[in-house]
Formats: sequence, C-alpha cells, structure tokens
Amino acid sequence: MAAVLDGIRIIDFTRVLAGPFATRILADYGAEVIKIQPTFEEETENWAKGYYNNWNRNKLGISLNLSQPGAIDIVKKLIKISDVVMENFSPRVMANWKLDYSNLKKVRPDIIMVSLSAMGHTGAWRNYVGFGPTIQAFSGITHLTSFPGKPALGMGTSFADHVAGLFAAVAVLAALEYRLQTGKGQYIDISQLEAMCTLLAPTLMDCAINGEVARPLGNSSARAAPYGVYRCHGDDRWCAIAVFSDEEWQAFCSVLGNPAWCKQSKFATLSSRLENTGELNQLVEDWTRQHSAEEVMVSLQQAGIAAGVVQSARDIAQDIQLEARNFFIQLDHPELGRTTMDGMPIKLSRTSPNFRCCAPTLGRDNNYVLRNLLRLSEEEIAANKSILS
Amino acid sequence: MLFNYRVLDLANDKGMFCAKLLADLGADVIKIERPGGDPARNTAPFLNNVPDPERSLYFWHYNTSKRGITLNIEAKRGRELFKRLIKTADIIIETYSPDYLDNLELSYNALAEVNPRLIVASITGFGRDGPYKNYKTCDLVASALGGQMYVCGDRDTPPLKPFGNQTYHMACLYATFGILLALRQRHNSGRGQHIDVSIHECVAATLDHVLVRYFYEWVVAKRRGNLHWSNGFRVFRCRDGYILLPLLQQWETLVEWLDSEGMAADLKEPRWRDKAVRHQGIDHIIQVLEQWTQVHTVSELVELGQLMHFPCAEVASPQQVVDNLQLKERGFFVEVKHPELKSQYQYPGAPYCFGQSPWQISRRAPLIGEHNKEIYGEELGLSESELSALVRDGVI
Repeated sequence: MAAVLDGIRIIDFTRVLAGPFATRILADYGAEVIKIQPTFEEETENWAKGYYNNWNRNKLGISLNLSQPGAIDIVKKLIKISDVVMENFSPRVMANWKLDYSNLKKVRPDIIMVSLSAMGHTGAWRNYVGFGPTIQAFSGITHLTSFPGKPALGMGTSFADHVAGLFAAVAVLAALEYRLQTGKGQYIDISQLEAMCTLLAPTLMDCAINGEVARPLGNSSARAAPYGVYRCHGDDRWCAIAVFSDEEWQAFCSVLGNPAWCKQSKFATLSSRLENTGELNQLVEDWTRQHSAEEVMVSLQQAGIAAGVVQSARDIAQDIQLEARNFFIQLDHPELGRTTMDGMPIKLSRTSPNFRCCAPTLGRDNNYVLRNLLRLSEEEIAANKSILS
Repeated sequence: MLFNYRVLDLANDKGMFCAKLLADLGADVIKIERPGGDPARNTAPFLNNVPDPERSLYFWHYNTSKRGITLNIEAKRGRELFKRLIKTADIIIETYSPDYLDNLELSYNALAEVNPRLIVASITGFGRDGPYKNYKTCDLVASALGGQMYVCGDRDTPPLKPFGNQTYHMACLYATFGILLALRQRHNSGRGQHIDVSIHECVAATLDHVLVRYFYEWVVAKRRGNLHWSNGFRVFRCRDGYILLPLLQQWETLVEWLDSEGMAADLKEPRWRDKAVRHQGIDHIIQVLEQWTQVHTVSELVELGQLMHFPCAEVASPQQVVDNLQLKERGFFVEVKHPELKSQYQYPGAPYCFGQSPWQISRRAPLIGEHNKEIYGEELGLSESELSALVRDGVI
C-alpha cells in the first residue's frame, strides 16, 4: 500500500532539531523530504554524527552553495515541483536569498511554506536567535521547573524544539487539508516561543486573569499524596509514585503490609496527608529504599497505583514495554554502521510509517534530484558543478 | 480549516488538548462529559481563586471552541444515543483504559460497523498492548518512565518533573498529527482507522540528546542542574533576575564583550580559543561570567547579546511572560468572551499563525451540558419529554 504522504514533496532548509524533527515525522509517513545541505561542514549538520543521523533519517540530501545565484535557481526549480517548504532560519535569511514566501508563491502559487523561527517573523524581537534552551527560558518553563525557593533548573532536554517540530508537522497536514478543500497554499509563521507558551497556558492565565504568579513546585501536587519520586535500593535509583484517591491510599498501605503508621489519623485523608507530607514522604522512602525501583513500580501497579521507575537512557533502551511495542528501529549507515533509534510513538491501524534509509551524507542524492526530478542535462549539471560542492 | 469535520471528545485531561487543537482549527468538537461534568473542572487554577466547576481556568483553556453535552455511556440508553452521534462524527478522541470501551461493546470495530469512516484516537498511558498495557499513569509517572525526569534536576537533587502536564501535551500533539494523517488516508480509501497513542512512547520519542547519546556513544545522560548537557548554556544571576547565556558560541566576540568592561580576566589568553580547553575549564569560565552578569540587569545583557546574535534569554517568570513585549506585539494573548460572567478574559492564543483560514478560539469552554438541547433536541430530534426522561434517569 502506498504511504499516506506519498506524492508530497517537501523542500527542507531546516537545521539542528525543531525543523528536522518536523520533517522527519512527515518523511516517516512517506513524504519525499529533500534536505538542502550546506556545502561546508557544520557541527549540528555533520552527517557522520549520530545526532544528525537520528533527526534526518528517511530524507534525501542535495548539497547546494546558496551564496551562488545558480543554486537559488535550482532551488526554485525544485520548489516548482514541490508542495511544502520548511525553514528555521532567523527571518532575514530566506529573504536575502529571495526565497521568502512572496517570491516562492510566484514560482508555485499553491506552495505551503512554514517558517519556524525563535520569535516569529513579526514583532520587535523577530531577529532574536534561539535554541531550545533559549525558548524554554523565555517561555517560563525554565523558571518554573525547579524546587520551591530554588533558582531555575529547567528541563534537561531541548524540549521546545520537539514542541515546535510537532506543531509544525500538524500545521503542514492542516494546510494540506486546506489545500485539498480550496486549492490554496499558504504561509505559516510559527514562533517557537508562542508554541511553547501554549503549553503553559493555565499558569499564564492564572497570572493574566488572577494576578497569581506561580512558583516552582518541585515534585509536588495539591491533588495527591504520596506524590513524588522516592529513592530506591541502588545508585541513583528512584521510583515515581502518585496516590490520588482514598481507595488508592488503602491499596498503597496494603502493598506496604499495613504498617502501624499507615493507620495514624494524620495520614487518613488526602488533606491530612498533604499537611504532613514531609513526614509521609520520609516513611514512604524508608520502605522504597529497601527495594529496587522496578519492584516498587510492579508491586504498586499491581495494586492499581500509578508508579514508574525514573528511567535513564539505558533503562529506556531495555524497557520491556517499548520492546513489546517495537518502539526502536534499526537503520544501516555507511559510516556509523547499524544504528538504533526510536521509530514512531503512535500506531495507526491502516497507515504504517516506513523506515527506508539513514540520514543523507553530503550530496548523497544530488544525482537523483538533478537528473530524475529536475531532468537537467549532463551539460547543465557540469555547468553547475561549483555550486554543488 | 477543519470545518467539515465533527469530533466527539470523550477525553479526560490526558487528551482534551488534542480536541482543543482540532477545535481551534475549526472542527465541530462536541465534548462529551459524564452527567455532573468532567472531573477536570475541579482542577486549579480557578477564576479569582474560587473553586467552582464552571470557573477552572485549566478546564477553560483545554476546552475552547468546543460545544458540550453530558452523557452516561455506561447506561444502555446512553450508548444508543452515543451510536446515533457516531453516525454524524468523523473523529473520536478517548482516553479510557484499553479494555473499557470494548467492555461496553463500543470497541473500534463495533464503532466502525456503525460508521466505517470513523477515525478513533485512543490515548493511553502505555498503548493498547504489551506488558504495561493496564498500568496506570499520570504526568509524573509518564515523565519518570519516559525519560524526562532522570535528566532534569541537579546532581544533588532528586529527579525533577518538568512543570505542567508536558507528557500529555506530547501525546496530544502526536495524536493530532495521527488524526490528520488518518483524515488524509480517508480521502483516498474512504475508510477510517484506529490510532493507538502511548503517552509513554510519545515522551520517550521527544528526549532530544538522551537516546541519541546512549545509542551512539553509550553515554547515560545525567542531571546537571541548569548547565546544558553540551556545556552550551547555563543560567546566571543578574542584578534583577536570571539570564540564560550561551557559554561556547562566538567565543572571541564574547571575550571582547567582557574585556570591553574590563571583566574578561584570563579568558583573553589564546589557549581558551581551543574548544577542548574551554570544555575542560568550563567551571572557570562560569566563575568569570558570574562576576560579569551580576553587575548587569537581565534586559541590558539580553538586548545587547541578541544584537550580536547570542542566543541568550531572560529566565522569565509567568508575570514576565504575560508582559513580554514580543508576545504583545504579535497579539499572542487573545480576549475570550464569557457572556454568562459578563466579562472577557485573556487566553494564550495561536501556537501557529496561518496565512489563510485563521486559527481562532470560536467560543469559551462549554458549561456543563450547555448544548444538550441543541444537540439532542435540534440535531437528533429528541422531544422535550424524552430529554427530561434522560435527565431524570441520569443518562444526560
């Protein structure tokens, strides 16, 4: 069966994570993504590195020196036979190449163009540059992800890049749907900051509407106790536990063998457990320390309580649930050998992703793009040699 | 953009963001709550801090642009009504445990018999099969098992959960992506399908460097406080707050900047131009930068730094985000009318700006059962007396 995005061609100018992640998941479902590669080496775009390979699988690569007018001509020819253009430069870059939307739609009137910049293409800060950590700091999540009274810790990953990438992939599919209905393409301006702020909305509304300025909570909740991560047997081993209802509390106590402290009135209700949470957490940890994190998780889950090991990269690589669901895939790479990476975290019953090839080495698909797609003659290709390497 | 589609939103707080995304893109989303209302209505924050199921800002945000009805699908009469609604629907979003709908004889296959074009997105903690299928989850557990927490926090702190249901957001964004793919597939085949979304997997698939470094270098990433895994960024204290600074980029420009204020210390020495030396001496670089940032305000460093294309940022509090100049200039926050409160309130707006067919919040979240009459009465043609019987019997 043909892949669902078969026949959709995407010209991909994106770098690092946010944009490449967006075009990767579109490529996984069959879109023909042609990555425009710079002819010089960049750290984040080094095709022999795992990071690049991971976020650029299933794409084609054509190397182009975009400072040459001939390269811009080739790009325009490509855009003429494409459906989508995605870029994550700061706003000046595409305009300098005369590849901004107003120019592209002259080449292809129904083109869908997605810009994925730090701040969006309008506004006083439109030229601000940012990576995931920058966006996270501006959005408030860095400040809010900490322990009470402690300075910002923030997330341990460039989460905002994944957020922007997912919004971009959703936007492309929505725009394709709109094009099916109306025949029209469009320009989509994504501010990575705005995408990230959307995911903090209730807290921002509490501030804008009530004037309440939220503070870091650590691992605590007003709706559950015990709630948090508890140290288990071993080095840096932890299990997350969340006990919401009274029923779950009773089940929790029986997993622990109903020790005397469980029956004390200060732990009898959620509000009393919340009031005595410090003491409660200590008692819970006295128990968890005697067991492995896996034992704690399994015994609590069997009793119907939400619990989970705080998994490291190694734990995730060995996670039996992920394995049972075929979460990881393998692809061969000419320099890196057999590589392992996550496949697709959702499963559609009648539409499969397709993991065809590793990320393109520099200019790997120049031939296919120039000869098969653009049908350039040998003479034209020879004349363009300098812009390809 | 999705005006032609009807969505039935049966999701709890793990999935209601997915339905919001579709609703704000124009889909006709009907939120189906249990009689009495969705428990998510009891989640803080509340308008003026007064707990009330019609005043949860949390519920408001996640349910914009939807209409709302109440329905008990566990009751036989409720299931019949549900099946009548299914005939009119394109998409269902649900977050029940994997066997729940099957046990009510509302499995995907049963629903597809009623409406073969139906797309069902099931968002569960761990997916619909596998050894953890029946495990319970919540944002904390999903963040732990999915790999976010192990790398979040400091060396001497416990692992830390990122703020604000971010695991649900990942699942909902992926679910939305899947639904739009399934719609596209339906244009070709005429048939819907079942989408199985595991929150666990959606978290594990969005870990940036964590799995990459493990599979290519066998590095198990650890917690490093606010120091970026690559030493590329760190948070510093300024006179009036905190700033995120890049530590390694455009090194010579950074040193010149410090030197112009006489604060570069020994960083002017040529040996620091070697990247490997900078990585080794990162603690010293941090010390020098700390001296410098604390005599400045956040905004002067961010503004000047950004002029020189340093990806620096204010470590903003919620108040600073609400006051953010750029967000204001772009009109990010929008006013949403609440006629029954005779007022309007500020909501975060579009996560993306479409040139055509604009995104919009078409209405505030529904009140409990607000559209029962409109949908059961006007659309399904139930009479007043049938409606009051359903209310009496606790079906709606």
